Amino acid sequence: MMQIIKADTKIKFSNHYMVTGLISFILVAVSLFAVFSKMNYGVDFRGGAEIQVKFQKDINLSDVRRTLKKEGFKVQAQKIGEPTNHEFLLKVAATEANLNEVTDKVSRVLNKDFASDGIEIRKVDIVGPKAGKELRLSGFQAMLWALIAIMIYIGLRFDFKYSPGAIVALFHDVSIILGIFALTGTEFTLQTVAALLAVIGYSVNDTVIVYDRVREHEQKFAHLGLKDQIDNAINETLSRTILTSGTTLFISGTMYFFGGLAIKDFFFAISLGVLIGTYSSVYVAAPVTLLFQRFTNSEDKTQAEGAKA
Amino acid sequence: MKRSWWYRFTFLIIAGVISTMMIIPTALDFGEESKFPVKSKITLGLDLQGGLYMILGIDFNKVYKDEVKGYARKIAYILNDQGIKTSVGDFSVTDETDPLHSVVLDSAADLEKAKEEVKKFFPSIIRMTREEGTTLFYGLTKVQKTTIEDQALTKSIEVIRNRIDEFGVTEPEIVSQGSNRIVIQLPGVKDIERAKALIGKTAKLEFKMVNDQLALSTMNSWLEKSKTSGIEFKTGMRFSEYLATLNDFLKKEKLLPKGFEMAFEKTVSKATNEVTNMIPYVVEDTSKLSGDQLQDARVQIDQQKNEPYVSIEFKASGAKIFEELTSENIGRRMAVILDGNVYSAPSIREKIGGGRAQISLGGGGFNKMMKEARDLALVLRAGALPVQLNFEEQRTVGPSLGADSIQKARYASLIGAALVFIFILIYYKISGGIAMVTLVLNILFVIACLVGFEATLTLPGIAGIALTIGMAVDANIIIYERIREEVRRGLSYYKAVETGFGHAFWTIIDANITTALAGLCLLNFGTGPIRGFAVTLLIGIVSTVYSSYFVGKLLFEFYMNKTEGQDLSI
Repeated sequence: MMQIIKADTKIKFSNHYMVTGLISFILVAVSLFAVFSKMNYGVDFRGGAEIQVKFQKDINLSDVRRTLKKEGFKVQAQKIGEPTNHEFLLKVAATEANLNEVTDKVSRVLNKDFASDGIEIRKVDIVGPKAGKELRLSGFQAMLWALIAIMIYIGLRFDFKYSPGAIVALFHDVSIILGIFALTGTEFTLQTVAALLAVIGYSVNDTVIVYDRVREHEQKFAHLGLKDQIDNAINETLSRTILTSGTTLFISGTMYFFGGLAIKDFFFAISLGVLIGTYSSVYVAAPVTLLFQRFTNSEDKTQAEGAKA
Repeated sequence: MKRSWWYRFTFLIIAGVISTMMIIPTALDFGEESKFPVKSKITLGLDLQGGLYMILGIDFNKVYKDEVKGYARKIAYILNDQGIKTSVGDFSVTDETDPLHSVVLDSAADLEKAKEEVKKFFPSIIRMTREEGTTLFYGLTKVQKTTIEDQALTKSIEVIRNRIDEFGVTEPEIVSQGSNRIVIQLPGVKDIERAKALIGKTAKLEFKMVNDQLALSTMNSWLEKSKTSGIEFKTGMRFSEYLATLNDFLKKEKLLPKGFEMAFEKTVSKATNEVTNMIPYVVEDTSKLSGDQLQDARVQIDQQKNEPYVSIEFKASGAKIFEELTSENIGRRMAVILDGNVYSAPSIREKIGGGRAQISLGGGGFNKMMKEARDLALVLRAGALPVQLNFEEQRTVGPSLGADSIQKARYASLIGAALVFIFILIYYKISGGIAMVTLVLNILFVIACLVGFEATLTLPGIAGIALTIGMAVDANIIIYERIREEVRRGLSYYKAVETGFGHAFWTIIDANITTALAGLCLLNFGTGPIRGFAVTLLIGIVSTVYSSYFVGKLLFEFYMNKTEGQDLSI
């Protein structure tokens, strides 16, 4: 029987909580700061226009810039994809009123001036600023609803004492992914929202597996405290957690490296989510559940004492 | 094997065969004329096959303004009719979303009576906001605004659908989103500039006299003749092109009387978007009266007969032309033509002066007539009251980009799947082989469901399938690790498999339900490609639970039966 993790592994995860807690706290704080200060919102959320063009021949980026500047357009141009592809992404600046017109004109100028270079306009995205703002709002709303739905589900299926741990872990995962997006300048698009929702749904799984095990043992090892029970459960399910995350990472990793430009960012978010989600199920969900329990227990106690007095 | 095993096995075989049948036309790329019983192929989303995706916003503020002005005119008309001398005032707009319009009375003595009359004639349509001397200010009520919004939305969708039909797009999707947006998806459109221009323009409404001397049978014989010369309307064609060629042909053959042309009243099925019926008309080739002469058109109800009719009102110049036209053509029919299509052809009963006319309907019950009246009023006003449509979002994808994306994503998914297969085969041996079978079945089921539900495969959708493989393996791992634990605890292989599956069931359900919850939130949020991801993810979840758990269990029972519980390679 091939084993990644030995069956009798007994790691005292709870001994690491102080250190990992601090690390997580710092990571989340930095991430949140980055998200609010320098998130690179894509055209979906910022509003504006983007044109993706491809040439048959090698074209200088500065030639494209010059042509457009000569015609009086304010355009940001960048090379994308593999160098042999001669592909560019042009971001067109315009007001809401003339966004459409300007984009049409830019396309026309490009088609005319670079006709001999085999130009091909591959994709045009135009989003009005108003629509962009609404999309951003509804994107965050969708994530919030997903968190709430999962919290309620865990509360109903297990016990509401487990919900806070799972939710804090999910919040931790999502913020760090967003933080990494902001810090690396990766564009935050509609696809990112989709990926984050998938992460929310997926990364809670490892946490659920641990909770499931704790519940199974609750009666059997009634003499143990919740802390030891959680430690045991994490150890028992550790190989499962690592294997499931590992295989999913196989897939999301290959998709990230070979799946093409259009879904690269999507699988960047998924891969990050799988990694961070595995970490957080051990080092965030568990300690928060313990903390929450200690908090409610002491409350019970003070109430009990109050009643006595 | 137990009897229940055979039942479950039969179910699996049936599901497998049906799914294979579903994906064969897609996998082997069958043409339209193939003899295979299943015709439908997977529908590729806009991001994969190229095309145009747009969200249009309707500017209701302009519509409110037009409406409130229309009512102010009507108030003045009615009050004058009642002997209260009144003139139409002016706009008073402080809030764009609630424009007001005034009417001015000649004498202050009529004030109370005028207010009463207005209340009586327009209950719950307009409200008086304030009065300054003999000037009364009116605005629309909330109820009326909602009615207007609904109408404007329906009307716009109808007009756009007509124009898209013109364009010959195979599977256009034109739907409303919320109360003020229209989402248009045109897959495979190449001439994007033209499509945009066509959608953005205002409707063209014309009134043309019908030539009633020609019998329907004559017209049908012409159509037969044109058909034999190869002029026939087929789905996917531009209707205007067909019409032009047909009229050229009929003129060349000298069949059409001079100064006339042919036009059609089309019935379009809302479900399939295909033309189901075409009634031919021969109408004048130039129109003397067009939609810009029309002031208003509304559904009214004849209180005596309890029948709905459409009342129309022309502008001053239009009223004169209309009077002339009606006096010259009593007894003949006048076709109402919108964007080249005949909508209705009411008969002229008498000379109509003053620019106000009633169009009564064919009969057939109140509800049917009401629907007809609404449709006609909609068509008439489409020319008179254009709705301002704003392009809020617009995405176009060239066909080559999508082809590139599919190729790359498919290649990467295959590598990913191969890696996972190799890993589980090494790690779990024969049980890994079982897992592999369930994974392949899983992918088969997901794609078959996409074809069966006529869902659209988008690029994020492919990502969803890849992710499904990843999550399905998880389910297998959860079961296998549990079985290993049970074996370690000293259970017999047979018992270990049974307990392993038993314990893993709720864990798998929990894991998939949380993902499904997130998927449902996404489905609610997303449009276009993102929706495609949510759909595949949700289908994938159901399929994963079936294949990884139930099919896995079925195969394990067979495996245990074969080895009689003496061997388990896991």
